Amino acid sequence: MILYLGKRLLLLGFTLLGLMTIMFVITNVAPGDPAKLMAGPNATRDMVETIRHEYGLDRPLVQQYFVYVGGLLRGDLGRSIVSTHPVSAELLRYFPATIELVFVAMGLGILVGVPFGMLSATHKDGWIDHVVRIFSVSGVALPAFWFGLLLQLFFAVRLEWLPVSGRLGITTLPPEPITQLLLLDSLLRGQWETFGEALRHVILPALVLSFPCLASILRVNRAEMLEVLQSDYITGARANGIAPLRIVAVHALKNAMLPTLSIIGLRFGWMLGSTVLVETVFDWPGIGLYAVSSALSSDFKPVMGVTLAIGLCFMLANFVVDLAYSWLDPRLRQP
Amino acid sequence: MKRIPFLAWAALALALVLTTGMSSAGAFERQGDRKVIVFGGRQQVPVLDPHVRYDWSTRMMQQAVYDGLAKYVGTSATIEPWLAERWESSPDSKTWTFHLVKNAKFHNGDPVDAEAVRYSFERGLKLNKGVAWMLKDFLAPEGIKVLDANTVQFNLSKPYGPFISFVPWWYIVNPKQVKANEVDGDSGQKWLTENEAGSGPFKPKRWQQNVLYELEAVSDYWKGWPQGLQNRPAAIIYRIIREPAAQKAALQRGEVDIVEGLTPDDYDTIKAQKGIQIQDHLGMTTFGIKFNTAQGPTADINLRKAIAYAMDYDALVKVYNGAATLQQSPFPQAMRGYVPVPGIYRQDFAKAKEYLAKSKYPNGGIELEYLHVAGLEEARRIGLVLLDSLSKLNIKVDVKAEQWPNMVARGSKTETTAAMTSVYVTPVSTDPDAVAYQYHKNSWGQYFAMSHYDNPAVFDMIDKARAQAKWEDRAPLYAQIQKQIVADVPEVFGMIQNRRWAQRDYLKGFVFSPVRFTGEVDLYPLWIDAK
Repeated sequence: MILYLGKRLLLLGFTLLGLMTIMFVITNVAPGDPAKLMAGPNATRDMVETIRHEYGLDRPLVQQYFVYVGGLLRGDLGRSIVSTHPVSAELLRYFPATIELVFVAMGLGILVGVPFGMLSATHKDGWIDHVVRIFSVSGVALPAFWFGLLLQLFFAVRLEWLPVSGRLGITTLPPEPITQLLLLDSLLRGQWETFGEALRHVILPALVLSFPCLASILRVNRAEMLEVLQSDYITGARANGIAPLRIVAVHALKNAMLPTLSIIGLRFGWMLGSTVLVETVFDWPGIGLYAVSSALSSDFKPVMGVTLAIGLCFMLANFVVDLAYSWLDPRLRQP
Repeated sequence: MKRIPFLAWAALALALVLTTGMSSAGAFERQGDRKVIVFGGRQQVPVLDPHVRYDWSTRMMQQAVYDGLAKYVGTSATIEPWLAERWESSPDSKTWTFHLVKNAKFHNGDPVDAEAVRYSFERGLKLNKGVAWMLKDFLAPEGIKVLDANTVQFNLSKPYGPFISFVPWWYIVNPKQVKANEVDGDSGQKWLTENEAGSGPFKPKRWQQNVLYELEAVSDYWKGWPQGLQNRPAAIIYRIIREPAAQKAALQRGEVDIVEGLTPDDYDTIKAQKGIQIQDHLGMTTFGIKFNTAQGPTADINLRKAIAYAMDYDALVKVYNGAATLQQSPFPQAMRGYVPVPGIYRQDFAKAKEYLAKSKYPNGGIELEYLHVAGLEEARRIGLVLLDSLSKLNIKVDVKAEQWPNMVARGSKTETTAAMTSVYVTPVSTDPDAVAYQYHKNSWGQYFAMSHYDNPAVFDMIDKARAQAKWEDRAPLYAQIQKQIVADVPEVFGMIQNRRWAQRDYLKGFVFSPVRFTGEVDLYPLWIDAK
């Protein structure tokens, strides 16, 4: 087991290095001069060179690469040419908002996807099954930005039930940070009004972000449940008089969850990448929005930093899924 | 009693939490007994340092936090005394002497004196960033002299008529605060990124990058409050809302009091709504389709004239739903020295065909690339107008979207510049040199000079005009410059779009200035007139 974990961690390190190298090449060969953009439209050549020199952009590309790798090993991801702040500090600032959004979205996806997948499987070909299946198809088909704008128009403008965008009301001060997650921090601080406001703000973007994930979880869980419910041991359980709910929710679900867990792990990484669109529509101040505004300014260090961060999270998420797999399936633990 | 299921209790609790604190739409924010103005804009404010960077959102905040020796005020963009109560220049415009007001003070109570002015201009020149380009070819740090505590003198290296037009954009910082926060000789750049050392009517209270920037009003601001002390706001919050649809929704719900990024169609639909009014003003932002005059088919002046005569100019105004005015000159109408150029190009297919016949492509049969900024819908539609117009000359147009940084990169060299590139340009001052110099060879490589226009006679006129001290000597030169540029047709001279904002009708004090960029507004005179 330890050997297995060690191999996986080593592979993770090499994969990150490869990702970083590819991103470095892409961001440096892409057209656009970040120094020129930072200097401003009327800047003279020497003004642009001043900035280029300050950020080391006048060095040979190979030298810039090794400087970046050296910095990465020290946790230094370079400096944003737009904000002038270290990228690592900015990632730490924006990451909690994205994690909070993704966790809420993932929670929605699991809490809705798994039970409805079970429901759909146990009522196969019934009206519930048909409705759920239509729902799951639309989940993967609807473009996130369009869905987000539609929800804003309906819930925020027409019904005025929920706010348009942002993470908190503009005059609401966030609670003193403990975890940097607004929902959790306001609960821990006992600030119920702030909690309610944070919840109202997260609902729409989390719904948009969770929808495709929810649809996938629902479909996979339904398919696995259908297969498992045909198993001999389930027939035996029924014959022994075990309550139907217990058969479905305990005995069948445990075996059906294995592929569902894989989907959850994959979807976690996908969600992190999808925050780019959702955070832009809802002005959610996370790393997705940070990446978009940086890319539009040709500010490539933040773009690389965000890509590495998301890549790392994706790999760690799948690593955790592998661990969960081996816990759920004792056969995987055997040598 | 029948047990209420757990899920029902949970649903009830969730409903209570969600509905707590829901506010009604149309309400403005308050702090105590004063009102807070909320401005919704698309662009963040990454650096507040006034000598490092400026763009429309950044300068809007800098203008609120800092003061300059002078300030652009009003629709006519008059340069009014501000920190300086008066100034005079020598007959040759090489020496400028500013006399400061005696009651101005920085937010920490230090007086704004001549040494602060000297230090601020020196800092801007030495950092060689942001606004430095405006004066660095004419002013050296050694040329700035403190004559006494309230008098500062600028000795230029050569006569420069436009000097005073750039002074309003140079803000004054408190040297004691900046020097106290220097790190590794950085002249306080790191500290001033999100801190301030100003004397303006507002000071930063909350600074959440990419979310919101709150400025609280300085109650005892040395220049007073034009809306009256009782009406001055408690604070102004600049809130980042990137999507036009979200900005529109926020305005309709009353979450913001003014927005700047709606589409032309949005302005038309929203203006009829109760409680909302549109600010609609003729600006100075020109739109041009810049030809590559150095290489490719558009190096041929006859082809350029054919295209200029084929263009459907009325359609340009329709793209903006009528909220635009066709250019009569390379200079915007509000620019000092503007003259309407007789015979400026308008659609005339007879002339278009006449010039096409004189060109190297008498039967057309070519394809020309038209670049526009990705995401700018109006520029894309104008490309389609161009495509339709030129089809009648048997010229195809390849309409392409490109990210702004890439477009600027391509336009910096003649060999990579597209045949036609759409560009919006806003001059930073009302002095005609701000536009004329865009056609000078020294501007090649910058986005407004993508045409790589090359007429040495025009360069000479521009150099001569900017060196003149008297306006009577400069004006005829600029008139001639405008006529010659039109004759050389380095671009299709398009239109000046109206600058528009949508606001709640209780917001007062809005003053338009054509010299401010994009969504930039002077925040100082704003106030809310409502109970």
